[in-house]
Amino acid sequence: MRVYLNFLPAVVSLALVACSAPPAGRAPAPQASAKDAVGPGPMDVTSPQRLRVMSSQQYTNTLFNIFGPDLKFDTRFPPLVRTGGLLGNGGAIAGVSDSQLEQYQRTAALVAAEVTNPTHRTFLIPCKPVDEKSADAACAAKFLPAIGRLLYRHPLVPEQTEALVKEAGEAATRFKDFYAGLAYALEGMLISPEMLLIAETSEPDPKRPGHQRLDAYSFATRLSLFLWNAGPDSTLLDAAASGELYTPKGRAKIVDMMLASPRLESGVRAFFDDMFGFDDFATLAKDAETYPSFTGATAADAREQTLRTLVDHLVANNGDYRDLFTTRKTFVSTALAPIYGVPAGRGWVPYEFPEGSPRTGILTHISFLAVHSHPGRSSPTLRGKALRELLLCQQVPRPPANVDFSAVENPKSTIKTQRERVNLHLANPVCAGCHKITDPMGLALENFDGSGAYRTTERGAPIDASGNLDGKSFTDVVGLGRALHDHPSLPTCLVERVYSYGSGGTANEQSKPMLTYLNQEFAAHGYRLPSLLRTIAMSNAFSEVKPPETRTASVPTQSSQTK
Amino acid sequence: MTTSSTRLIATALGLALLPHVALADGVTNRAIGYVLTDKHWAVYQTPNGKAECPNGMNDGPREQFKILFPEDGTKRTMMDTQFVREGENWFPAENEPIAPNGKPLPYYEPQGKTGVGLNLDGKVGPNDFTSPAGETGIDNQLYRAVGCVAGFRGPDGAYTFFQNDYMQRQIFNRVLIEITDVDDLNNDPDVTVTTYRGFSPLLNSANGKDFIPGGTQKIDERWGKRYIHSFKGRIVNGTLTTDPADTKIPFADTFDTNVDLTLKAARFNLKLTPTTAEGLIGTYLDLKEWHHHLAINWTTHHASYGQQSIPSIIRAMRRLADAYPDPVTGKMTAISAALDVKFVQAYILRDAKKGPVAAVPAATAPAER
Repeated sequence: MRVYLNFLPAVVSLALVACSAPPAGRAPAPQASAKDAVGPGPMDVTSPQRLRVMSSQQYTNTLFNIFGPDLKFDTRFPPLVRTGGLLGNGGAIAGVSDSQLEQYQRTAALVAAEVTNPTHRTFLIPCKPVDEKSADAACAAKFLPAIGRLLYRHPLVPEQTEALVKEAGEAATRFKDFYAGLAYALEGMLISPEMLLIAETSEPDPKRPGHQRLDAYSFATRLSLFLWNAGPDSTLLDAAASGELYTPKGRAKIVDMMLASPRLESGVRAFFDDMFGFDDFATLAKDAETYPSFTGATAADAREQTLRTLVDHLVANNGDYRDLFTTRKTFVSTALAPIYGVPAGRGWVPYEFPEGSPRTGILTHISFLAVHSHPGRSSPTLRGKALRELLLCQQVPRPPANVDFSAVENPKSTIKTQRERVNLHLANPVCAGCHKITDPMGLALENFDGSGAYRTTERGAPIDASGNLDGKSFTDVVGLGRALHDHPSLPTCLVERVYSYGSGGTANEQSKPMLTYLNQEFAAHGYRLPSLLRTIAMSNAFSEVKPPETRTASVPTQSSQTK
Repeated sequence: MTTSSTRLIATALGLALLPHVALADGVTNRAIGYVLTDKHWAVYQTPNGKAECPNGMNDGPREQFKILFPEDGTKRTMMDTQFVREGENWFPAENEPIAPNGKPLPYYEPQGKTGVGLNLDGKVGPNDFTSPAGETGIDNQLYRAVGCVAGFRGPDGAYTFFQNDYMQRQIFNRVLIEITDVDDLNNDPDVTVTTYRGFSPLLNSANGKDFIPGGTQKIDERWGKRYIHSFKGRIVNGTLTTDPADTKIPFADTFDTNVDLTLKAARFNLKLTPTTAEGLIGTYLDLKEWHHHLAINWTTHHASYGQQSIPSIIRAMRRLADAYPDPVTGKMTAISAALDVKFVQAYILRDAKKGPVAAVPAATAPAER
């Protein structure tokens, strides 16, 4: 097992700050030129320059893109803290604990062993050693800097390459195995702060004196994480190295290439998985006696169904984002079909619910209905809260600590429907304030039980699914879908979330002009996600940054003290 | 009522699934499908078995062997003992062998008049049973043959458990029925029932104890054509009954065997709901086929667990056979029986590219005694 003492000073009890210049030992980005163009959008808005921890999925995607998807390893990195509605934003305020380092090291060891095993070495390592039982500096020098450039998201300086080759050579001699030595060096790179921490660095903007912009490699990384949820590939790094990325044509060409890439699907899936809070699936459990059709496979497929629907609608068909809440088109699988009451072929099959069906829009997917319910019953309150917070970016206050639930949780109660149950809340002034915010639209989903199955009655009583959303009344879930479709906060919430996701942190007051611009552009382009992504990627604010005011670690460590 | 059942299941696998028109009673496009989840040979049982089996359960291979070949110092060869008994599995003598005590091996038939099954011949004969609900003329002589054999009794008799377990677990044992031309699942004077072999696993419930409705089953159109037969039927107060017709169902009982069972003059009697179909399939079993089926599926090793002496069972079945007389010898070649069955609703799909699935209509003469 390797011990990376040099990692610790950088990350333990970390207050993450970024650098306005590349750290020592890192290759500088290409020289900025006054001919380079800035992107469109408000010119007085910048995004914060950040230091972020790479997420599990970003790490996985990056390695799959570099080494291929047949690599067998797992990344059980600790979850990030949801911040400003997104887990992704939590990467910028995360610390790295000792146990986290152990997880990173475990994954790195698995990956290094996979890459250098006899199955993969023949095509992943571009040379063969003269003798497999001893060091071969020439061969190691072909492999390590090439991979290091992709892992670190910038080229290695000669000193870094020399150090890695030396490390691989010493280990090969010690283990009497060239590939074991190579794995040793690779493992070191995979757990290096340069791999795991995304440290944005900036440079003076040659076009706008007094302003800072991300250096080309940091910008390439930000673009790649934003659109692909993975580190930049060789093409993107080449564009950064050549300066093409900061030319008007070059930037547009690269962004369009990235939007056209199949990897965009990974990026879009990651964003919506985050925005819709699908990490809740990890703890989703249903009462097996109450919902016998809801199995573990149902939960897994419910998440996948909505992500497939999103990608198909937003990316493959370039559809209007708002139509997601009224569309009857989706996909079904064997595990979902019993709850939807429809047949399913083998695997995933496109399906369109018939006209007049109450299954309209992703609010009627099992993913929304089941996740935002109790284990044994539906919940208009949880559903309404989720709708407000996840889709409209509104904040619903938490319930007071001393709520008296006895009336609604009385097992001998004669209450039959959830509407009767939540009406009890409305009768209590302490509860009514918040329940008026969540329940009227949540009740429109009451034709679906806690597993997401359709029903017309509850405990023998007919269900009244009428409700209203901010002044728009409706009689059923179809009406709710239309009201949500037309709600002004629906697209603006998406814009805010996408922008903060892309820039790596919660949007703030300073972001308002940028958000206004993006909202206008989003509407002008028919609420198409690829267009929004492009607008953000091409904007000045996406590459122009405000450097952090201090580079001092908030909690000095022993090794940071000057002697 | 003329719509072909095959046209009602035109949804294509691998293609976009078409929206379907569902009625409140679960009938979609005038059809509803079910998949078999449980099947057991219908054996009437009282709680401790004393009423129908006052002499207790029959001996199995091991017990019979000990009686026939006691450890009394007599020198015996394998040829004279084990091989003889194994041979008897395939060629049972007409009567039970005589034990050293000079008496034939005992074999007990269930006592009493109560039995589970259907009146297959429309008559009330002296050997017929009366159902627990009071219906007379019940034809189920298989029960008389095996009712006091531990392996055939539920819920944990070795045979009754495993023949069901393997049906549930093995896809090639999947049995489907589709009821078409349905206008009302509670009352419809003219419906068609078609049997198929399915091609998909059953869906377990979340608690793992049950099977849930709403799954999808693909018809085995390539190797399963011999299982496709149609029956005319009717639904009265939610109970489906059909006219008799011959059919086959896959009936493998053990590890990866593949055996068909012919159901002669079979008829369904199922209580229908939108999610379940439960009841009986009454039929006649061909003695030779059933004997072969039992002997090839169920070795002496397996039979020993359920105290199932194949020679004794087959002797009893031959003795009690009650239908399909051999035109030359006059001996009965089939025995009445009933399967206690449970189905859950399933969507039945076929590949539209392959065209209609041909169902063989009923062409069965009534069984005669």
